[in-house]
Amino acid sequence: MTTSHMSPPLLSVSNLSTSFFTSRGEVKAVRGVSFELNAGEILGIVGESGSGKSITCMSLMGLLRSSGRVIEGSARFEGRDLITLDEDELSELRGNDISMIFQDPMTSLNPTLTVGEQVIETILRHRKVSRAEARARAIELFELVRIPSAAKRLKSYPHEFSGGMRQRVMIAIALACDPKLLIADEPTTALDVTIQRQILALLKELQGRLGMAVILITHDLGVIAETADRVLVMYGGMVMEEGPVRELFARPSHPYTRGLLASIPDLRDDTHHRLTPIPGSPPDMLRPPKGCPFAPRCPHAMAQCNAALPPLYHAGEGRRARCWLHHPEAPRVAGITAELVPA
Amino acid sequence: MTAYVVQRLLLMLVTLFAIITLTFFLMHAVPGGPFTSEKMLQPEIQAALNAKYHLDDPLWLQYLNYLRGVLSLDLGPSFKYAGMSVNEIIAEGLPVTMKTGALALLCVVALGVPLGIVAALNRNRWPDTLVMVIATIGVAVPSYVIATVALYVFALRLGWVPTFGLDDWRGYFLPVFALSGFWISFIARLARSSLLETLQQDYMMTAKAKGLKRGTVLFKHGLRNSLIPVVTVLGPVVANLLTGSFVIEQIFALPGIGRHFVLSITNRDYTAIMGITIFYAAVLMVMIFIVDMLYLVLDPRIKYRADAK
Amino acid sequence: MTDIEIAPEMWAPTTRNGAAAEYIAAPSLTFWQDVRKRLWANKPAMLGLGFIILLVLAAIFGPMLSRHTYFEQNLKLSNVPPLFQTYEVTDSTGATTRFFFNSGNLNLYEVTPSGEVAGLLRATKKDLIKKQQQFKFGDKQVVLDTAKQQLSFADGTALAPSGWQWNMSNVLGTDQLGRDVLARQLYGARISLTVAFVATLVNFFIGVFYGGLAGYLGGKADTIMMRIVEVISTIPLTLYVILIMVVFNSGFLSVVLAIGSVYWVDMARIVRGQILTLKQQDYVAAARTMGASTPRILVRHLLPNSVGPILVTLTMLIPSAIFIESFMSFIGLGVTPPEASWGTLTSEAVETLRAYPYQLFFPAAAISLTMFAFNFLGDGLRDALDPRLRT
Ligand SMILES: Nc1ncnc2c1ncn2[C@@H]1O[C@H](COP(=O)(O)OP(=O)(O)OP(=O)(O)O)[C@@H](O)[C@H]1O
Ligand code: SF4
Ligand SMILES: [Mg+2]
Repeated sequence: MTTSHMSPPLLSVSNLSTSFFTSRGEVKAVRGVSFELNAGEILGIVGESGSGKSITCMSLMGLLRSSGRVIEGSARFEGRDLITLDEDELSELRGNDISMIFQDPMTSLNPTLTVGEQVIETILRHRKVSRAEARARAIELFELVRIPSAAKRLKSYPHEFSGGMRQRVMIAIALACDPKLLIADEPTTALDVTIQRQILALLKELQGRLGMAVILITHDLGVIAETADRVLVMYGGMVMEEGPVRELFARPSHPYTRGLLASIPDLRDDTHHRLTPIPGSPPDMLRPPKGCPFAPRCPHAMAQCNAALPPLYHAGEGRRARCWLHHPEAPRVAGITAELVPA
Repeated sequence: MTAYVVQRLLLMLVTLFAIITLTFFLMHAVPGGPFTSEKMLQPEIQAALNAKYHLDDPLWLQYLNYLRGVLSLDLGPSFKYAGMSVNEIIAEGLPVTMKTGALALLCVVALGVPLGIVAALNRNRWPDTLVMVIATIGVAVPSYVIATVALYVFALRLGWVPTFGLDDWRGYFLPVFALSGFWISFIARLARSSLLETLQQDYMMTAKAKGLKRGTVLFKHGLRNSLIPVVTVLGPVVANLLTGSFVIEQIFALPGIGRHFVLSITNRDYTAIMGITIFYAAVLMVMIFIVDMLYLVLDPRIKYRADAK
Repeated sequence: MTDIEIAPEMWAPTTRNGAAAEYIAAPSLTFWQDVRKRLWANKPAMLGLGFIILLVLAAIFGPMLSRHTYFEQNLKLSNVPPLFQTYEVTDSTGATTRFFFNSGNLNLYEVTPSGEVAGLLRATKKDLIKKQQQFKFGDKQVVLDTAKQQLSFADGTALAPSGWQWNMSNVLGTDQLGRDVLARQLYGARISLTVAFVATLVNFFIGVFYGGLAGYLGGKADTIMMRIVEVISTIPLTLYVILIMVVFNSGFLSVVLAIGSVYWVDMARIVRGQILTLKQQDYVAAARTMGASTPRILVRHLLPNSVGPILVTLTMLIPSAIFIESFMSFIGLGVTPPEASWGTLTSEAVETLRAYPYQLFFPAAAISLTMFAFNFLGDGLRDALDPRLRT
């Protein structure tokens, strides 16, 4: 991305670490995550379940459950550090400049309030408008996300809607105040395949039309390939690899990314794009290993990998990878390092 | 909506009918009961019963007779007190039972729910621990134990309140406390766990993510939903406040319906037992119906489900 | 970053250890191991269980070991407290009499040196107008002022208590008919627990049968049966227990019958729900096509699945049954005298509350502690079975 050198990024996260303090000990859910996001850009975050994708975003929004705390790092959004904002300042931002869509539309809407009310209350919270104006805006939003007979459906309750329709309502709520950043945490995982496509197409279209930046969290590499500009691959609470979507998919610079991609025969194939599990299981975040978190499952693991955590190596234009194989003295592995780092 | 109301109304009527029937035949099964023409103690009563229910008629006719009586809100003559009707017995005790019962219900809602909320919002901190300890004692110690201990301590030893009767306003304290103690604790526990569960719901996260103020999130989104389970148990609460009044009115010597009921049991005043049982059941059915309607207002899903059937 | 110095041997490949990769995953326990672990870790639940076991043992063996029976009366020694302050009077021959004053009935009782209550001391003279009684100990005279509740010698000097003594003949004292409170407590525990366990068992069988039948038959029969359950669950059941007791007269069997026949609807609902889900599951259809008989399917599949909720319901039903029984006894509908249950013991104690408040302590404590124990155990079981529900 060439623009990144000119204007300051919209969001710049650096060295973010978040832990949960539970009765069993400190769960290190996010460990030193850094990334940047420009206005109007779509950043995909992939990784296995428990890799810290959601917690990273929740930390930005200040929405961690009470046992969770950001212990380190900063997240500058339009020049302000989200981490140091107090609850009042954050709540001014939430739903206004930064909005979020969640995974399960069946449970993320309040069952005892009409969908209209749930949109309207968001508008009234952030805009100085009358109830009638807010209602008109809600109808406009329903039309924007293509909910048929918008005015009538405002009075419906969530249970009268299908999953896809509910997710449209969630999107309408998220877009209510023209956010600059939309965080979509697995927005299609809980939906049927055909509905998934519609919702994604809608998101992408709205993003193009409204020009906001999007962080799209997903398990589905196919979704990332179709939608995102850049990808962040997470594992064990850390960024394992980062890069523009095309190059990263064409030539992964990290054994973990390669493992993820290897399981998919063809990205343009219509069959499931889900991650097929790599043998073994993710590290226990109560006691993360001191070396590379992927080492127990990595086909290229070396003595060094267990000894120390690899740094994030520069791995080509706009690319970073956290793997010892990128050390200049490391053995070359075809497909990961051979072409990228000339000996 | 109408489907739901009709369904609830029907259930109420069927239940009431079942109760009247069951009560009638149970009482008929009593040897020397009111619906046998065996020799009774007082010829006067015998004559009154005979005139009303025609004790020589076949059983089903007597049953229809009784049913007709109940439907016209006439519960018949007392089996033990000549010249006294069951209606009169109930009317005599009603004010006392109503007053204590309503106060107890008020305490249950006005204390139980806020205590539960305070506990949930201070989860695992001292207010929570305090409420939970008290509530655990409240649900474990039987009401008559609470009542007698309270009677001994506050009335006999300290003399703060009278030992019996309601002539003095302070006389209400102990009966209402003993009557509602269990249910305050129960509702506090229920409200606490329900609110904690609601706070975990995804839509609470959505509400926060929309930037709503903390009060709005808690009261508009959290409280209302967490009160639904609390409302659903209010029907049974009323039922138990009524039955609880049997012992409480006995211990504090209150001239309420509960006391009359227990007296009728000891005196084997069968028609009074029947009549009071049916009266209780009717009061309850009405309360449960009201609660069902409240539920309808609180939870729009109910309406939808009932109509979909 | 490229300037990190690393020893060449560190680049040696490690063999990927499948076992190690697996080891990292938390060791998985079977469901029941997990439940047991969580239950063990729950201190109140374990305390409750311990108390219940002790109580059951006491109820079974206590009455056998006790040297009194629950019905044996001794009107001369009625309302004796478990703990009293003794006085000693020594006459000129050196003979000492130890006795205590029962302020409830204004009597003096002689106490043996070992702490047994030997018997009532007779007053030599009663002056009803001055509210005084005189007692003779050899050549010494003691005056009891019943109005002031004071003891003094004939010359007016007050008698000082010589110390506290635990009642060795009746460790928990006697009731108003002079029956041993401990023996009655133990016997009461036996009755209360038996009523509770048997009634719960009866409910269990009715519930499983009814719910099982409804779920098994399905369709219209199920709908009708569940409507009946709905009607029953709106009926105020305590009233029906009372009516049944009125019909069958008081007594142990009627209590069991009354409580046992009324509280089975929850059980029926659970069992029916489980059967319905089971019927939809593929493995049951598979088992059926493979020729498994219905009882076999029920035992192999239904039981393991529903044991959790059923267990919780049962643990919660037992204290309610204890409570209902004591409630019935309290309003005079429970077991008949001289039989005793915690309810009758409490209501007897209430009769003498003014004079002997401590008599309320033992039955009230017994029933309250038992309720605590079952509540804690039930809560613990529920949490252990469904950790999601833990709050
Ligand atoms: N409330 C919590 N208490 C303790 N640990 C938590 C809590 N929430 C999350 N975690 C831990 O944080 C880690 C990261 O969780 P996170 O939800 O970010 O994963 P994720 O990448 O979003 O996974 P998924 O794809 O399943 O959504 C997990 O290991 C999880 O165990
Ligand atoms: S650092 Fe070592 S273990 Fe980790 S991914 Fe690279 S090669 Fe594999
Ligand atoms: Mg997630």
